[in-house]
Amino acid sequence: MRKAELVVIGGGPAGMAAAVKARELGIRDIILLERDSHLGGILQQCIHDGFGLHRFGKQLSGCSYAQIFIDEVRKGGIQVECNTMVLDITEEKVIRAANDEKGLMEIQAEVVILAMGCRERTRPQVRILGTRPAGVLTAGAVQRYINMEGWKPGTRAVILGSGDIGLIMARRMTLEGISVEGVYEVMENLGGLRRNKAQCLDDYQIPLHLSTTVVRVHGKRRLEGVTVAKVGADRKPISGTERYIPCDLLVLSVGLIPENELSRKAGIILDAVTKGPVVDDRMMTSIPGIFAAGNVGAVFDLVDYVSQTGEQAAMGAYQYLKEGQKEEAEQEVTAGKNVSFVFPQKFSPGREEKADFYLRVKKTMKNATVRVWCGEKMIYQKKTAFATPPEMVALQVPLAEAQEGPITIDVE
Amino acid sequence: MEKREIDSQMTQLEKEFGIAENSISYEMRDGILILDGNLDNWQLAVDFCHKAVKIPGVRNLVNHIETPERKRPAPVDLEPYKKKGVLASTDVLIIGGGITGCAAARTLSKYDLKILVVEKESDICEGTTKANNGMVHSGYDSKPGSLKALCNVEGNAMYTQWAKELGFHFNRTGSFVCGFNEEDMKTIQRLYENGAKNKVPGIEVIDGRRAREIEPGLSDEIIGALWTPSAGYAEPYEVALALAENAIDNGAEFMLNTVVLGILREGNQAAGVVTEQGVIEAKVIINAAGLYADEIAEMAGDEFYSIHPRRGTLVIFDKENKGKIHTFAGKAPSNYTKGGGPQETPAGTLLWGPSAKEVSDKEDLGVDQDDLDFVIEKGLELTKNISKDTVITYFSGNRAATYQEDFVIENSKVLQGFIHAAGIQSPGFAAAPAIAKRVEKLFLELWPEAPAKQDFNPIRTHKKSFRECPPEEQREMIQKNPAYGKVICRCETVTEGEILDAIHGKIPARTVDAVKRRTRAGMGRCQSGFCGSRVVEILARELGISPNQVTLKGKGSEILKEPTRQGGEQK
Amino acid sequence: MQKKYICINCPLSCDLTLTDENGVLSVAGNNCKRGEDYAVNEYRNPLRMLTTTVQLEHADTRLLPVISSDMIPKKLLRECLDILYGVSVQAPVQSGEIIYKNILNTGIDILSAKTVKE
Repeated sequence: MRKAELVVIGGGPAGMAAAVKARELGIRDIILLERDSHLGGILQQCIHDGFGLHRFGKQLSGCSYAQIFIDEVRKGGIQVECNTMVLDITEEKVIRAANDEKGLMEIQAEVVILAMGCRERTRPQVRILGTRPAGVLTAGAVQRYINMEGWKPGTRAVILGSGDIGLIMARRMTLEGISVEGVYEVMENLGGLRRNKAQCLDDYQIPLHLSTTVVRVHGKRRLEGVTVAKVGADRKPISGTERYIPCDLLVLSVGLIPENELSRKAGIILDAVTKGPVVDDRMMTSIPGIFAAGNVGAVFDLVDYVSQTGEQAAMGAYQYLKEGQKEEAEQEVTAGKNVSFVFPQKFSPGREEKADFYLRVKKTMKNATVRVWCGEKMIYQKKTAFATPPEMVALQVPLAEAQEGPITIDVE
Repeated sequence: MEKREIDSQMTQLEKEFGIAENSISYEMRDGILILDGNLDNWQLAVDFCHKAVKIPGVRNLVNHIETPERKRPAPVDLEPYKKKGVLASTDVLIIGGGITGCAAARTLSKYDLKILVVEKESDICEGTTKANNGMVHSGYDSKPGSLKALCNVEGNAMYTQWAKELGFHFNRTGSFVCGFNEEDMKTIQRLYENGAKNKVPGIEVIDGRRAREIEPGLSDEIIGALWTPSAGYAEPYEVALALAENAIDNGAEFMLNTVVLGILREGNQAAGVVTEQGVIEAKVIINAAGLYADEIAEMAGDEFYSIHPRRGTLVIFDKENKGKIHTFAGKAPSNYTKGGGPQETPAGTLLWGPSAKEVSDKEDLGVDQDDLDFVIEKGLELTKNISKDTVITYFSGNRAATYQEDFVIENSKVLQGFIHAAGIQSPGFAAAPAIAKRVEKLFLELWPEAPAKQDFNPIRTHKKSFRECPPEEQREMIQKNPAYGKVICRCETVTEGEILDAIHGKIPARTVDAVKRRTRAGMGRCQSGFCGSRVVEILARELGISPNQVTLKGKGSEILKEPTRQGGEQK
Repeated sequence: MQKKYICINCPLSCDLTLTDENGVLSVAGNNCKRGEDYAVNEYRNPLRMLTTTVQLEHADTRLLPVISSDMIPKKLLRECLDILYGVSVQAPVQSGEIIYKNILNTGIDILSAKTVKE
């Protein structure tokens, strides 16, 4: 069986950042496994700009952001296996993977970083009724067809979901000559970043319909139209508000979920809210020596943070390789008032001086304050002019005063 | 029965349904009641027919009643199609590539005759078969003495041998009808007596504790159950494909995308069919056309039943629920169909349903909110620890029910050489082996001197799927063919090698859905989000067509419209 | 006169208010200088980044993603795209390589967003 110090599963922004950082720290024997034919993950189909502002201070496209890391991976001489699907991974960190060149590979890793990213929620998950014709696709699938494969999956589109991918695809489809009838959002606010509404919808006069959803799909073989309806406060369709829209493409941008197939197989404890593994401030999962980075842990909206968690995981992996698993008291980090989740969910008091936490608020708030509590004591606070569920809040919290109990984070 | 008596019964029925007297006209021919007229809605027409078929002396019913939702189709002019000439000549022509047609083809392929199956869709199993819940029912609920009861119990027993010969997945899990109160237990007792009359092996009424010993996933609220250990589960499309492949191995042929428009006769002898592509000559015709069997019967001049589609919705759950329930569990029945309940498929997926709803359109495969609610609520009541948030997909299929609600398996009385295998609804899948045996018997009545095929081989050879192989075999598979090393569907671990096998199989998979049925690519939790475009690409490459000619499920269901401004074919 | 904009420079998406008092422009609501510039530009001459794909030959992918070297006038976007739809590039190509120089005399170049080997 092949042995490796570190195996990184997934060659997207999290995995590449982790591998590059691990090499920088001095880990020699790294294998980076990627299921697609090229490194870059989903960034390869993100031809739009808006990436890397935090990290590189400039507007990059998804592809150019990825290219920076691809070049770093090459420079670092990291072993990369593309077209390689990991079949399973055991608690003992034995990875079984397959590709068409090397066949079935078995690798005994000392440390594993999971960086498989996330996947899109599907039509049945949002309970759309009606038939099952061709022409109903997720936004990511449409993006791949248009930006990478050069095919239009329709001529007149309706978009359900105002998440960032939905908004970006509204503009992209318009520019490619697909008429976009409108974007429909079941919630009462926008699902994505407001700047994307400005430059993707408003610039092209594409209407956004809030508190409205697609209730039914029509057409036996190919999509012929959809029925949309207003929804009430309970998000259930209001009878009598139905409207039929002829279209041959329904694009779904209805949320992302961590890719947890392998995490589950390995027996890693998952978080009920993020749907990804529960991790500590070094990004280590419930299985010692298995780390999680990026969207596999929790779905981020900025790639910069994804890369950052990759690097955090690499540092954790490095430490683990050096020192092994140490007996350390762990404390929970919990979502408090107006917070839907905090990632990571755990930390070890006294180990690090500071830790990065990422959270999402439950509702839109203006001039809010984020407060971090350790028991009764407030150990950190930060003002934010505007907090909204689609935009993740990132905090670097000094832990010097968090010696004792668990941490709770509120936003008010 | 006297005409006067039927007259009075019909008037009575019209009164009962609150419809004007004589708005429904009828004709009675050899025990077949033929109704005509107009009604306000389809459900009313179905209810009316269900009552009318119970008039004493009525053997079956033909429904020509029109409603705003359903008009009788205009007859097709066959001449232009006849002019296309003779396409093929065969001894036996089977109309319909569902479970019934495939089973008939396989059974008759033991005779040294030319056998041809025509299917109107781009793949076999595109009708009722693909959206069946896969229950191999034990046979406790059909009316004793009915064809359903006889074929079900016999067919169920034959599944062991079928699975062995044909190599499909089959779990004899047993099944429950669960009772929550004394009223339910009375129904269960009646079902027990019914099942005992049908000679269902091992049938017994057990208490809730014992039921949970057998199936720990059952709800704690259940006080007792009817237990039939012989019930089982198989994937209907896997079984049908296995039958078709074995039939092909034994010389049978299949023609897909072939729509039958008319039946040809010479005197009172069946002579062939007219299809959209031309004429197929045949000595014996078997009507296994499922939802369209009534229309085929009418073409044969032997219309004595009508098919009224009864739609059932199935709900599939994420594999994370694997192991939470293994055994089929249903509730005490309340309508013509048992209605399904929770069940684990051989692949470890949880499947709930079906529901039952009369629809006017045979192609109406929609899912409504009430269908979904019905299936999910019933399933939640019967089980525990299963969240409805783990639903990954749902879809509907239509059962091919007659008004008499029994199978029609008989030789035509008016057209020599024409066999009806119609009205095959639940438990048609369980009954399939026995139905095929009956069809064989009917065929031998027509063709007693049919020669046996000396080299008939009942064993179907097939490859195990990659995910089912132990690591050493997987290693070998990839070594022999690197395409098995390329995983295309993440969720279900389906390799390119398996997709290629499906595309170049005996019944070639020509659509994304056909690939899905054979390999499971796209059946998992991401519902083809990842593998969809890759499967399209492989199909286009292997079939030598452009990606925008690749369809989801046959002509008219193309997935891609046109190239982007600089996209399209690779330069 | 007042105009409201949502800043598109970064994910903060600041709500900007631009006031024009007889040709004197002032901006409120921004968190940084770029926000101020954005509002002024948006009022006078809105600018956008341009991203699209061009045709790629001799490579295992058929499309090459490209990005403008800086923002270009919004009103020229469509025209620029029409030009780029006619462009075909041969691999190999380096990320950052100029694919189309000085598009529509804006002084802005169109750059490859990806490195592709032959």
